[in-house]
Amino acid sequence: MKTHITIPKKAWYAALIMMLIFAFNPMYGQNTSAQKGRIIKGTVSNPQGPLEGVNVILKGENQGTVTNAKGEFTFPVALETGDVLVISFLGYESIEFRIKEDTTFVKAILSDEVIEIMGAVNTNKRYKSKRKN
Amino acid sequence: MRIFILYIFLYIFVFQGTAQISDFSHISFEKADEIALKYKDETLHNLPDLVYKLTSQLDTDAERFRAIFKWICSNVSNNYGLYERNKRNRQRYKDNPARLKAWNSKFQKIVFKRLLKNRSTICTGYAYLVKELANLADIECEMIHGYGRTSTINLKTLDSPNHSWNVVKLDGKWYLCDPTWASGNPNPESNQFQFDFNEGFFLSDPKIFAINHHPIIKKWFLLEGETPSFDDFMDAPIIYNKAYAYFSGHTYPQKMHNAIQRNQNINFTLQLQKEVAEKDVNLVIESSFRERKIYPKEVSIKDNSLSIDYKFEFTGFYDVHLYIKEDLIATYTVEVTR
Repeated sequence: MKTHITIPKKAWYAALIMMLIFAFNPMYGQNTSAQKGRIIKGTVSNPQGPLEGVNVILKGENQGTVTNAKGEFTFPVALETGDVLVISFLGYESIEFRIKEDTTFVKAILSDEVIEIMGAVNTNKRYKSKRKN
Repeated sequence: MRIFILYIFLYIFVFQGTAQISDFSHISFEKADEIALKYKDETLHNLPDLVYKLTSQLDTDAERFRAIFKWICSNVSNNYGLYERNKRNRQRYKDNPARLKAWNSKFQKIVFKRLLKNRSTICTGYAYLVKELANLADIECEMIHGYGRTSTINLKTLDSPNHSWNVVKLDGKWYLCDPTWASGNPNPESNQFQFDFNEGFFLSDPKIFAINHHPIIKKWFLLEGETPSFDDFMDAPIIYNKAYAYFSGHTYPQKMHNAIQRNQNINFTLQLQKEVAEKDVNLVIESSFRERKIYPKEVSIKDNSLSIDYKFEFTGFYDVHLYIKEDLIATYTVEVTR
């Protein structure tokens, strides 16, 4: 007996939407040897704990991100082996981190920049000798 | 061969003319200054981004450094409260290295917090920021620590370094600049900091810079030949901000305190960096009883050098202030004896 399969209209729509999603979605899971860039994550801390607001930039480019309250960051663009990340924060020694072939996660510890703090105030006040009389 | 090496050595270390802003007279800093002004509302939260904004449209390192320097000097204020607090504690702990170190470490955190939050700081904060931003722009720049002298710093109590400034390498040559003193002064009435950019502290001539800046490490004088000793520095006349606008060097008198006899000549010689009219040169002479302004008769300007000769007719102890028009340049004391 011949069975007649009817496909409800709703299913057609669903199939169409599925096709559209696959068509416009970039493919993941390429062969690793052909992989050019990858998304790098990491954390930045000082010896006391995570640091918030640290700038992480790609050296020579104006591309970068800032760490969150847990000191974490996800670099917004895919990085290649050999790229250098500059990690800097006011009052700490900046460090440069080179992305190696097997780098997927960056763990940076910044140390305080030890600076002897001094200050001589400028003035236009005219000198006056101290006189006895 | 040896002679050849010697010549190369001499060429590199001796014949290098002093580095100063006139090396860049072919560059206009107008565009760099405009950019610095355009981004005046930026904060210090994202230094790489700030550096990118300040430098990406400029072609030379000199202009890029100028934009950074100008931005810092017109946006970061001098915090006198912090200065006083630090001075007090440094004085208090000066004989106790452990306490001093602890204070410095604590104070450093306060300084950077304040810099980030309020864009206000003291010398080392300025110098640090100049170095940090320049380095982010791939310009070699260092912080220099040492002694600074002004009319209000009591030299007798100046027993440890009190000032920081910068050296920057442009086109392979080191130059001096002082961002703290370039940024402004205390308002004479309120004593609050006010911005007043002083061009003279940007790529200053090392000769005049050495009159009131004394680095701990000698090579940072950037002077050819002999460098001033610490005693020379302590004994030198007081020069003021405006001196940097007119002069590139100061030769005579070498000392602040001078003793001469009545009717004997005292000579003042300074090297000019811009034209000055002889009639604008005046001295204000202050004795215990009175103050008078005189236009000395013997003023000569030759080969970019200003020379003044003056004779005192009466004995006494005088403060002598050198002015160009209304601009205060230097102060000396002269004791005139019979």
